[in-house]
Amino acid sequence: MGLLIAIVVGCVLGLIFGINAPIIPYTYSGYLAIAIVAALDSVFGGITSVLNKKFDMKIFVSGFFGNAILSILLTYLGEKLNVDIYLAAIVVFVGRMFTNLSIIRRYYIDKWSQKKQEKEDENKQKTV
Amino acid sequence: MNLKGKWTITVVMGIVCFVLIAVMFMQFKTVNQTDITSIEIMRESELRSELASWKSKYEDVQEKVEENNERIEEYKQGTEDNVKATQLLEEELNQAKTSLGLTDVVGEGVVVTLEDNDTPPDYYSEDDVYDGRINVYDILQLINELKLAGAEAISINDIRVVDKTDIAWVMDTYIVVDGVRISSPYVVKAIGNQTALESGLMQKDSGYMDKIINAEDKKATVQRENEIEIYKYDKDWDTKYIQEN
Repeated sequence: MGLLIAIVVGCVLGLIFGINAPIIPYTYSGYLAIAIVAALDSVFGGITSVLNKKFDMKIFVSGFFGNAILSILLTYLGEKLNVDIYLAAIVVFVGRMFTNLSIIRRYYIDKWSQKKQEKEDENKQKTV
Repeated sequence: MNLKGKWTITVVMGIVCFVLIAVMFMQFKTVNQTDITSIEIMRESELRSELASWKSKYEDVQEKVEENNERIEEYKQGTEDNVKATQLLEEELNQAKTSLGLTDVVGEGVVVTLEDNDTPPDYYSEDDVYDGRINVYDILQLINELKLAGAEAISINDIRVVDKTDIAWVMDTYIVVDGVRISSPYVVKAIGNQTALESGLMQKDSGYMDKIINAEDKKATVQRENEIEIYKYDKDWDTKYIQEN
């Protein structure tokens, strides 16, 4: 419960800060975009690991910041080589996001149908 | 330990969320305020070729601008010469006009006033005939004398006397200059060298003043003046019979 509150509070504060904060210099906005995608991907990965009861704080945090920094470096390298490396990063991150999302979806749908099943069983027992 | 672990997780998640959302919205704001797409699509090589084409276009336009500027200079020169020629012609025209008497002029000179005199002077007896009227010959002689003395412009009662001017004596009574009747006093203005004009008129015994005042006992005065205004000859000067030879 506390966790949920913390997450919500963090989001709200982030919203307020982000909307009223200064603009990022235009040249860096490209790097920032790819970092955001990487961060989102690691968040979804974190949620999946929670569902699998394999959540590890260290892995989550290191993945969060590590992926972001790595993707920034790769984009910069790509610019220097005149090769759009960031495209590959986007494909990977968004692919993983879809995978994680489908796991979460399957988990909750299973859970919901399990609950439904249990309720029907209860009703059956009662009638019997 | 458990509590501490949970607390750590909560705080860390909160911070992570905060950072993520904040950065996301900052990015939204940035993208909203800069039109990235068109420039972002171009890569360095494309930019370079675009730049090269713009440069060559610019150079072409520069050349054209220079050409046009040169042409403008030429036209300016042409018009300048034209203007000079027109100015010269205008100057000549003005000089000719002035010499003919077609312009108002001003300058130093003399003013001769002739007046009809009714009363004879004292030493005339009743029998002597006295005609104190100024007649046309007096005026004609005066004008001739003034011309002889170098007058450059002459007017009688503010009527300009030019080459063409006729002075007529109607019925032996009226003097008519170029069709305009004039009467006493006759103010003859002449622009020229004051000394020459005055001395030409005031010569003893043979000068005009002596003859008209002393010989005929008429009323006449000569006065030097510095700023004599003489108006232009304002009638038409058409020629029907003369032709260029």
